[in-house]
Formats: sequence, structure tokens, C-alpha cells
Amino acid sequence: MNNPQPHRTIIEPFKIKMVEPLPMLSQSERERILKEAGHNLFLVAAKHVTFDFLTDSGTSAMSAAQWGAMMIADESYAGSQSFERFEKVVKGLTGYPHVIPTHQGRAAERLLFGALVKPGMKVPSNNHFDTTRANIEQLGAEAVDLVIAEGRDPANRHPFKGNIDLKRLEEFCSGFRGRIPLGMLTITNNTGGGQPVSLENLRGAAAIYRKYGIPFILDVCRFAENSYFIKLRETGQNQRNVREIAQETFSLADGCMMSAKKDGLSNIGGFIALKADSWLHTLRSALILTEGFPTYGGLAARDLEAIAVGLEEVLDERYLSYRIAVSQYMGQGLNKIGIPTVQPPGGHAVYIDAKALLPQIPTERFPGQALVCEMYRSEGIRACEVGSVMFGKNSAMELVRLAFPRRVYTQSHFDYVLEGFEGIARRKNELKGFKMVFEPPFLRHFTARFEQVL
Amino acid sequence: MTSKREKRSWAEPFKIKMVELIKTTTREERERALSEAGYNTFLLKSEDVYIDLLTDSGTNAMSDNQWAGMMLGDEAYAGSVNFYNLERGVQKYYGYKYLIPTHQGRGAEHILSRILIKPGDFIPGNMYFTTTRAHQELAGGTFVDVIIDEAHDSEKVLPFKGNIDIGKLETLIAKVGAKKIPYVCVAATVNMAGGQPISMENIREVRRICSKHGIKVMLDATRAIENAYFIKTREKGYEDKTIAEILHELCSYTDGCTMSGKKDLMVNIGGFLALNDWDLFEEARNMVVLYEGLHTYGGLAGRDMEAMARGIPEAVQFDHIRARIGQVEYVGEHLSMLGVPFVKPIGGHAIFLDAKRFLPHLRQTQLPAQSLAAWLYLEAGIRSMERGIVSAGRDKETGDHHYPKLELVRLTFPRRVYTQAHCDVTIEAVESLFNDRNNLRGLEMTYEPKYLRFFQARFKPLE
Repeated sequence: MNNPQPHRTIIEPFKIKMVEPLPMLSQSERERILKEAGHNLFLVAAKHVTFDFLTDSGTSAMSAAQWGAMMIADESYAGSQSFERFEKVVKGLTGYPHVIPTHQGRAAERLLFGALVKPGMKVPSNNHFDTTRANIEQLGAEAVDLVIAEGRDPANRHPFKGNIDLKRLEEFCSGFRGRIPLGMLTITNNTGGGQPVSLENLRGAAAIYRKYGIPFILDVCRFAENSYFIKLRETGQNQRNVREIAQETFSLADGCMMSAKKDGLSNIGGFIALKADSWLHTLRSALILTEGFPTYGGLAARDLEAIAVGLEEVLDERYLSYRIAVSQYMGQGLNKIGIPTVQPPGGHAVYIDAKALLPQIPTERFPGQALVCEMYRSEGIRACEVGSVMFGKNSAMELVRLAFPRRVYTQSHFDYVLEGFEGIARRKNELKGFKMVFEPPFLRHFTARFEQVL
Repeated sequence: MTSKREKRSWAEPFKIKMVELIKTTTREERERALSEAGYNTFLLKSEDVYIDLLTDSGTNAMSDNQWAGMMLGDEAYAGSVNFYNLERGVQKYYGYKYLIPTHQGRGAEHILSRILIKPGDFIPGNMYFTTTRAHQELAGGTFVDVIIDEAHDSEKVLPFKGNIDIGKLETLIAKVGAKKIPYVCVAATVNMAGGQPISMENIREVRRICSKHGIKVMLDATRAIENAYFIKTREKGYEDKTIAEILHELCSYTDGCTMSGKKDLMVNIGGFLALNDWDLFEEARNMVVLYEGLHTYGGLAGRDMEAMARGIPEAVQFDHIRARIGQVEYVGEHLSMLGVPFVKPIGGHAIFLDAKRFLPHLRQTQLPAQSLAAWLYLEAGIRSMERGIVSAGRDKETGDHHYPKLELVRLTFPRRVYTQAHCDVTIEAVESLFNDRNNLRGLEMTYEPKYLRFFQARFKPLE
């Protein structure tokens, strides 16, 4: 893999126009807060978090151009000009003629699956994300992960660990003929560590889906990061611009769903875009019932404007080079002080291998949760467990995700965080496991409560 | 109108800080735009509209204080400070214990219907509303209209035409049994009845009956602050109470509410579900994660929760709500003087033109309200909304149209957006159509979607 970063310093291709105070609490305050929140970081108030790496979703800093566009938004209920601008950008990027805005990505999933998925069906992907899986299971169907074997090995440095196993996909599609309402790929593969999918693999999956007459739907919430990885890592792609690569990616599928809260650089919003109009009426009817009218989809018009501008900004290669550098820098920094991470670092996040770091804590005592709690307690860092708490027994790995909001934190923030991790690395043998004392029926990680097992 | 100086006393309690330009169009341009939109005002492009009275939902002008709040959006995925500000506001002014934000009102209806309604249930309410009934039916329930009969008579003047007919409610309970009624859905005000309010006495009585049978009362609080204004000005014993006190009392007779913040609270997006029962809240919270977003943002940007939180204390100011409803009354009183038929008394958020009496030469299947809305756009670039046979949809059993008694065109006023001069233009346009009413043709439907057809249906003029 060629190293894209000749410099050690992360140069942000922007300067700061608006700032937000950074909360700083004492360790004893955080200990009290952690206890009150049942040791679940999702239940901690944001004002009590110093470095919020819980997610890169909806947490981006918007640009002056995005804020400017928000001010000229047309909030008419029907036929808003903001929708026309939004639609034009999405069509131009994806090449798909039919665009349906939604309030965020999970609404897009719910609408699309609601229209296509029936009980007993199976939906293959590289890895399904938590809300995706929950939406499919809610409909009585099964979400099946077919990522390549390398994608399940945290130490393996395969350049495209998000790839789907084409051999298994072929067997799967032929084995469950007639029971697969759609086939998916998530780019980048969030659950598997923010790992990219190669164009070659995308082409292969598209061919298999086409062969079996299965509509191919991409989850494209980090399409720009994936396209940039293709440019950096895939043979023959180096000279293309990222936009072209993204457009080829879209052209291989029959449609996409997008959470614009990631590579849309916005704080809210999402969409479905489709090549064909066959599901359009069903989707729009359901959209009106649960989201909003087809020209606003449950979003304020200003958010459509922010997404339209964001989808253009995100393809700036200077931005993408900075973006990818953040997780590379953090990954290398953590590894240097003996904290094992999924290799190579993903596009939007670094995933710490909690099982390898904390061998004294068995899986059923949630090593990831133990690390997440310690990071908050000692440093005010909020991160997300991606392991047995989030996925239950389906979880192949015990990871802790540090997801980096776009354009929010500076290199000095990251250096400060790395210093904090030095202390955590020194104390790793003292960390204790947790047990779950309250468990909601689905998506339990959001509201579950824990107690430390001493 | 200058002789009625006292009527002008609702002068806006604000000045203008930011403006948005609007376009004037020629009749030829409007003819083309209308034809391209299939004679459905929902399908017009907003840039072709001069005065947009389609809806008061999400079309409001926010205050500088709300915009400042937008800049304080805490976009953290979990535990945003804006959520806690909103929660505090809802607890203080609406009085409910638990809050679940949703991306808008229908998100809250979706969740409430899913957690409370079982197939075969009946949900009584004071007149249907399109999305509310659709959600109830989707969950397997049947909506039963228990509004007083007078609500269906556009000429009848009653102070509280949105009231529930207690007799009808008791009859339904006796007929299907309380176990089949998960809750009574009380709207305040009643949109489809012409923005008509319910009285405090009425909701108190509904509460008493429901408590006797162990039935929950759920409020559609979307325009509850407008309702509170009518209680203050029309109901004995409430003259000296503040809008905030009345709102709080109104909510206190209910177990929870669904809310579209896009109306009373003057935001462009956002809503919530508020509940008093912890177990119900827990169920709703698990569901909101799946459909809307984590329970501390519910599919809203942090900034939008902040704008909604800041809208609450502004909305309960008496000067604000008097000017708000005063503007609607201004238009209504002028139309009344011209003899234009519309729903009386004048409602809180809109004037509902009575298309049946406006266009008596059209049968209901010739879509008088849809036609009137189309011709009003053609006349002056004013966009309104049909609330008649097209909105009512089809019966899920027989497949035939619902035939609502009222065939209305809604002129809905966004909050703080249009000036009195805009209102005068509107009055003149309606007057001119009224003078030419015998020449106005009906419409027929050429495309009909399956659900909520009024949004996307297409029409053409009858020969």
C-alpha cells in the first residue's frame, strides 16, 4: 500500500470560522456522571464530554458555504426550490434519475426494506450496520454478512478489507434463489472497521447480483472516503479523480441509500436514489405517511441545501487527503504506545481491538465496554463499543470505535488524546469487566445499563 | 376599514429582521405552471407561487432568538444540550413528564399508533386528520368520528365547534367495549373542522368518561396554543388566566400528546411525543431509535431542537397569539362583508372557504374544492389547499370515496410571514373569483395514488 501522507502534520484545508466551547470536567465529576448513566456512554450528556468520538454521523462542522446556503433555503411545504437544487446535485453525482429525501439514513433503510423485504427473506451484504440489521430483522428477514475472511481478522492489512466474498456470495445467491429481495454493499464497511471496498469487488458483486436478477443497492454514506481509498490503493485508479471513481461506483448498482450525516457533511438528512422507477410509487406513498412530502422528506429545506453543498465539498481531494490522514495518524499513534487497532485504519475511524488489549476480560464481560468507560472516566473521551454489546452473539470482534467528526478537532486535540491513551495503556491490567443490568428488546446498546464486575 | 380602529390593535408584536423575495407571475405563466402541476396545488413549484397559503406547517418565520439558538446547536449524537432544553420547555409549558423528539409530527403519530393500537381497535377522535387516520389504519385500527354534529355545518356559529360529542363517545364505548379503545385522540384545535377549538369543559368531561373506563386520552397538541387563546377569549372563568396557564391545564387532562412543532412552535422542522407513563415511554423510546433516531435527538439536528425549545415561550405570549389569530380574523371579516361563504366562526390558523356554496353548480364528484384551489392560483398566484373529497380518500372496506360533508379550500396563514398588504391582495383575489364564480369549471382526477392521494393526484378541467 502506498503511503499517501508524506508529512506527519495533518494540514486542514480550511481555517476556522466558528468555534464551540470544549467542556472540561474533573475526573471525579466524570466518575459520578458515568455511574448515573449506567456506564452507557450513549446516556451521557454531550456537555459532559470533552472529546466526542462516539460517531462521525451528523457531527461534522459545516462550511461557510453550507451555512450560507441554509440561509437562502425555501421552506415551502411543496415544490421548494431547495429540493430542486438538492435533486440536481444528487442526480449529477449518482446518475440515478429518481431521488427521495428522508430525514436520515435509517428512514431510507426502513422505507426501502419496508417496500421489498418480506418475512423469511435474506439480505446479503459485506457487513450490515446496527440500524440496517435491526430494520431487516424487524421485518422478519435475515441480514447476512459475507465479508471476506481477511475482513474479520483485525491484524490483516489487506487494502480492501470491506470486500464481499464473491465466492460465498455466488453460492448464497444460487442457494437462496427467489428469497433475496435485494443485495447490498456498504461503502466503506463501517462494522468491519471503516474498510473500503474495491472497484473490482464492486464490479464482481454487481455481476453476481445481475446474474441472479437481484436488485443491487449500495449503502453509500461514506462513498467519498471509499472512492478516495480506491484512488490510493487500487491498481490503475491513481490518475482518475475521485468524482469519476464515485460515479463509476454508483453506475454499478441499481440504487443507493445514503445517510447524508456522514459524507454529506451535514448534521441531518439522507436519501434514496434509484435507477428505475418501479418502486417509486410505493416508496413515495410510505414516505408521505411517515417522513414527509416527496420534496422535503421530513427535512427542513435548509438541510437539503446544506447536503447539496456538502456532497460537492466532500469530493475535494485536499479534504479527503486530510480526512484519511486523521485516522492514519491516530492509528499509528495508538499502535506506537502498544494499543492494538484494526489494520489498516479505516476512513472515518480507528477501531481498537479491546479483546487483544484486555485479555483478562472475557467476551461475556464486555471488554469493549470496559475500555469505553475507562476512556471517559480518565480522559473525558467518548467512544462507541462495536462488539458484543452492539451485536450480541453475532459479534466476531470486540472493538472500540473512535469515530472522528469531520473538520471538528485539530491535530493538537489528537495529540492530547494520544497522551491520555498512554496512561490508559499503562493501567490496562487493572481494568474490570461489566454486566448488563437492563436490556431493551432491540438496538440494546443505545439504552442498556451496566454495572462493573469487581 | 379605517373606521374600525380597534380591529387594528393586533399590529404585529415584532419588526422584520430578514426578508425573502417573492416573484410575481403573469396569468399565462400561471396557466402553464398549473397545467404542469396537474391542477394540484401541492405539485406547484414554490417559485411560481406569489402568496403561499398552502399550509402553516413549517413555513413560519423564526425569531432572531430562535436563529441564535440554531447557532447553538449541539450536534452530539447522544445527550445533546438542546434535547435537555427542549425537555425542560415541554415539561414546564405542556406539563408532561417524558419527552421523545421526532423529526416531525407524523413521526410521533407513527410511534404512538404502533405502541398503542392493536388490530381491531377503535380510536375515537374529534374529526379525522389525514396522516393521523392513516397511521391508525396502518396499525390495524379504525378511526371513529365523535365530534359534535354542528362541526360538519359550515354556517353554524358556536364558540367551541371542535368539541367531542360526549354522547357519541359513550355510545361507542358501550358498543365496542372499553378494551377495544386504546385511547381517545383529541385534537385542539380541529384542523379539518376549520381550525375550531375545544372547550376546557369538554376535555375535562372526556377525561372523566375515559378515566371511568380506563381509556387513555391523547392530545394532538399541534395547535393547542391557538386553542388556549380561544378558551381565554370565549370560555367563562378563563378571561384572566394566561395562555401558558390554560395550555398547562388543557394538557393536564390528557395522558400524553403528539406534537408537530412546525405549527404553534414556529419552527421549520421538528415534533415530539410526550407521555406521562414510564412504561409507555420506554416502549416509545425503543421504537424511536429504530425509526427516527436516538431518543435524545429523534431524527432532528440539535439546532432544530433548540429552535423548537425557544419557540415555546414565544408562542404562549398573549400579544403573539392575538396577532396571529387576529390576522386570520382580519381576512375572515373582510370576506364575510363580501358575502363569500366560509366556515364560521373563523378558525385559528386558516380561513376555510366553503366550496360547496361557493360553486353550487358543481357536484361533489366534480371536486368543487380542488377546482376552487386551482382557479385561485390561476387568478392571483395564491396557493391554497383542498380539504374535501380528494383529501378524504377512499373507504378501506368498500373502496368508494369518503364523501365528507364539508368541501373546503383552506387559506392557511404561516406565522409571522405575510403582512396586512398580502392579506389585502388575498381578499381582493377571492372577491374577484367570487364575482366570476358561475364561470368556474370543475375538475376530474386523472391519476390517483393509493395512500394520501391528495398530495400527488393529478387532475384536468371538465369540459
